[in-house]
Amino acid sequence: MPRRFSPPERSPARSRPSLIRLACALLLALTGTLALANALDGVLQVGSAYVNFDHGVIQLYARVQYPLNPAIREALQDGVTLTFDLEARVDRVRHLWFDANVVDLTLRRELAYHVVTDRFVVRDVRSGEQKSFDTLKEALAYLGKVDNWPILVEPQLDGGRYIISVRAGVRRGKLPASLRALLFWTDDWQRVSKWYSWSLPV
Amino acid sequence: MVSAGVNDDRDATQRLRARRRGAWSLALWGVVGLGALLLLLAKSVQNSSEFGRLQPWILLLNIAGVLTLTVLLVRKLWQLVRDYRNHVPGSRLTARTVIIFGSLVVAPLLIVYLSSLEFLNRGIDSWFRVEVRQGLKDALVLSRAALDLRVEECARRTELLARSLGARSGVEIQTRLDEERRATAASEIVLFGDHERILTASLDNPLAGVPIAPPADLVRRVNDHRPYVSLEPQANGRYLIRIGAPLGASPDSPEDRYVMAVYPVPTQLAALSDAVQRSYSQYGNLAALRQPLKYSFSLTLTLVLLLAMLAACYGAIFSAQRLARPVQDLIAGTRAVGKGDFDTRLPLPSRDEMGFLVHSFNDMTKRLRRAHEEATRSQQAVERERERLAIILARLSTGVLAVDRTLTVRMANEAAGAILGTDLSAATGRSLPELSASNERLGQFVAALAVRFARGREEWREQLDLEGGPTHGTLARRNLMCACTQLPGEEGDRGYVIVFDDITTLLQAQRDAAWGEVARRLAHEIKNPLTPIQLSAERLRRRLLASMAPRDAEILERATHTIVQQVESMQQMVNAFSEYARAPEMRVSRFSLNQLVTEVAELYRSQDPRAAIHLSLDERLESIEADRGRVRQILNNLVTNALEALEGAAQPRLEIATRLESGAEEGQYAAMSVCDNGPGFQRELLGRVFDPYVTSKPKGTGLGLAIVKKIVEEHGGRIDAENRPEGGALVRVLLPVVDSTRKAAGARDRREQLRRERA
Repeated sequence: MPRRFSPPERSPARSRPSLIRLACALLLALTGTLALANALDGVLQVGSAYVNFDHGVIQLYARVQYPLNPAIREALQDGVTLTFDLEARVDRVRHLWFDANVVDLTLRRELAYHVVTDRFVVRDVRSGEQKSFDTLKEALAYLGKVDNWPILVEPQLDGGRYIISVRAGVRRGKLPASLRALLFWTDDWQRVSKWYSWSLPV
Repeated sequence: MVSAGVNDDRDATQRLRARRRGAWSLALWGVVGLGALLLLLAKSVQNSSEFGRLQPWILLLNIAGVLTLTVLLVRKLWQLVRDYRNHVPGSRLTARTVIIFGSLVVAPLLIVYLSSLEFLNRGIDSWFRVEVRQGLKDALVLSRAALDLRVEECARRTELLARSLGARSGVEIQTRLDEERRATAASEIVLFGDHERILTASLDNPLAGVPIAPPADLVRRVNDHRPYVSLEPQANGRYLIRIGAPLGASPDSPEDRYVMAVYPVPTQLAALSDAVQRSYSQYGNLAALRQPLKYSFSLTLTLVLLLAMLAACYGAIFSAQRLARPVQDLIAGTRAVGKGDFDTRLPLPSRDEMGFLVHSFNDMTKRLRRAHEEATRSQQAVERERERLAIILARLSTGVLAVDRTLTVRMANEAAGAILGTDLSAATGRSLPELSASNERLGQFVAALAVRFARGREEWREQLDLEGGPTHGTLARRNLMCACTQLPGEEGDRGYVIVFDDITTLLQAQRDAAWGEVARRLAHEIKNPLTPIQLSAERLRRRLLASMAPRDAEILERATHTIVQQVESMQQMVNAFSEYARAPEMRVSRFSLNQLVTEVAELYRSQDPRAAIHLSLDERLESIEADRGRVRQILNNLVTNALEALEGAAQPRLEIATRLESGAEEGQYAAMSVCDNGPGFQRELLGRVFDPYVTSKPKGTGLGLAIVKKIVEEHGGRIDAENRPEGGALVRVLLPVVDSTRKAAGARDRREQLRRERA
């Protein structure tokens, strides 16, 4: 019987010490590029998440709400590919020092509109598997439901207090690297949710 | 000194080299930073995952570069503006150079920037031309049409199959499904019953396993007795046509049945359709990037332009300042040399023409410094000689006066002023006639000089007798021995030096000596015959008077009486001369001068009740060391002279005053003055009243004041006579209080006499 662990508390998003990101945000603000249209506006949050111990494997279950608006639909129908990332981190809490990162995984999937068949296609980037849907709503519902995602095995835990953090992100994908280099400060098709964190008792 | 200059050169050159090293290291760091930036960019372009990590650093480096350059540029510009306003040497040259350099750099940069911006915008717009999009849409329509034909065909065959299966059962169905699958090249045809139960199936590859469950949408539609048609894309670029068709009602089977047939799209058509799909997707992705691309390119280009412009402007200012710095140093050095700082050494900027110029400047300042040091030494020597000469001239008792042709004073020593009775210490540069306006003696001296210069006499030696002076006394008459010589110099700038000596005292001493000799000879040659003459006259009278007739006796009587009287008179005169000539030993004693004056005054008051003698005695004058008898004689002679002068006066008044005076060098003096309100001295005799036989009285011998003067000088004192402004005569006698003072004064007089004799 697999053990199921629900999140005992829903802690606020943890601000990790990232001076680089802070500097990046500051510089982005300086360049004024945030003034462009926000096509990804809407609710983007991790609604719930928990882990199950199943034969020594810790599996993650998450429910994510992705934004759905006409701008996204229009962009998809114009051929734009969106990348949906679900990022999971497991950190070991240390006193008087930064937390030690044990696991940092990303589940990356792409959503595209297949114009020939008039269907929305979801593709797992790593495995290459894809699934098509008649409607965008069905596709987003499929993307927002993650079950049995193995993120950790028991031997990786050696006692102490662990924090699991999950967050979701959406950005415009399928950009050539050279173009991404140019677009890094004007690409507003990029959003991440707040961290959804809870403690993992061992 | 030379070695110090060399050390200064070395220090300045070392400082310059240190500055150069700093500039080079700064430039090196800049190049390293730029290289790092390019490396990061290259890595990020090659690997997109690296880019995410490096992206903030690239941005940070760019912004930091812009900010650093901006700060440096603003600092440089502020410094340049401040120097320009303060008129710092070289700032205008720097500003001009910066403007030229900046214009040369900024203008092409701006042109390239604007052209590039336009080119980029137009280029990006050309990527998304309407024709391209329309072509893609046309291809899409074509693909869809081709696929739709295939789908419709499959749907039609599946519906026919479903209808044909409605009346069959069992083995016939299976056979029919297999026939149909082979005929249509379907991958699978499955007959489902209620609850997605598979009744029978015909599979192209039976080894693949159980057929997949029908999609929920398919089930919903066939349950509504409507066909289901679906074209599904596959991961490998292939397409599947999924058709669902319900079977008609059959008496053999009460449950609802339907057929799901899956047909693969032919490979060629699938490939073409997939190509159209990929192109459409890529175009859509790119089209979405159209505006962001424009912004990105514009921002990137602007950032590059900013970096380039800031770097170029900073480089222009830096280069201009480097170029102008040696010029600034030269200007500052020239100003310093102009102000007399010959220690200025400039650092050698380089080995080019500017370096040669700076080297020449340093060489020049070295030579100037040596020349200046030599000139200073010479000037100091001249100054020392001048001071030495000034000391000698100041100590000289001979007057030395240098004037030019217009009698403007060039130099005068203290003795000249003392002799001429005026202060010439501040007379340099002033005209002698102007100075002589309030000094009669100086006026006579200047007039005598002017007369001689007017006659064209440039070198002469003469005695000048000057009358008058600051006081109208006996000492006002001055006898000067003058010598004039022309000074060397250019024509028109030549001056004269007049050397003159006061020989008044010398002449007086010579006169006194001469009169002493006369008196001695008179006393010796005349006194001896007088007694026999008197005795002979008296004998003649006694022997002949009785035997003569009365008329003759009367004549004899008158004659002998006249002879005796005249002989007695001559006797008195000879006695007076004897008194003047003799120099008996002085009997110095301490006595009260005030008491002596009182005694003499009382004596005269008792002899002549009309004598109005007033005394004004200084109580501080207690006693003096002098020959009491001779001082009494001085008083007698002076009082007698005064009383004789007061004969016939309406309100005769004689005043005798004593006062204690302190001299700066000569100790204390007893001043005694005798003044009356008589007619005073005759002006023409005023300078010679102390000479023998100078008198205005009909009965006087003219020796009274001469004797007084002799006695005073024997005591080492001084005597002066003058007329009072309110009328009457004033004789003033100064006697030393202490005998040692007299001796010292005597010694000084002897030294003075000896010096004048040498002169």
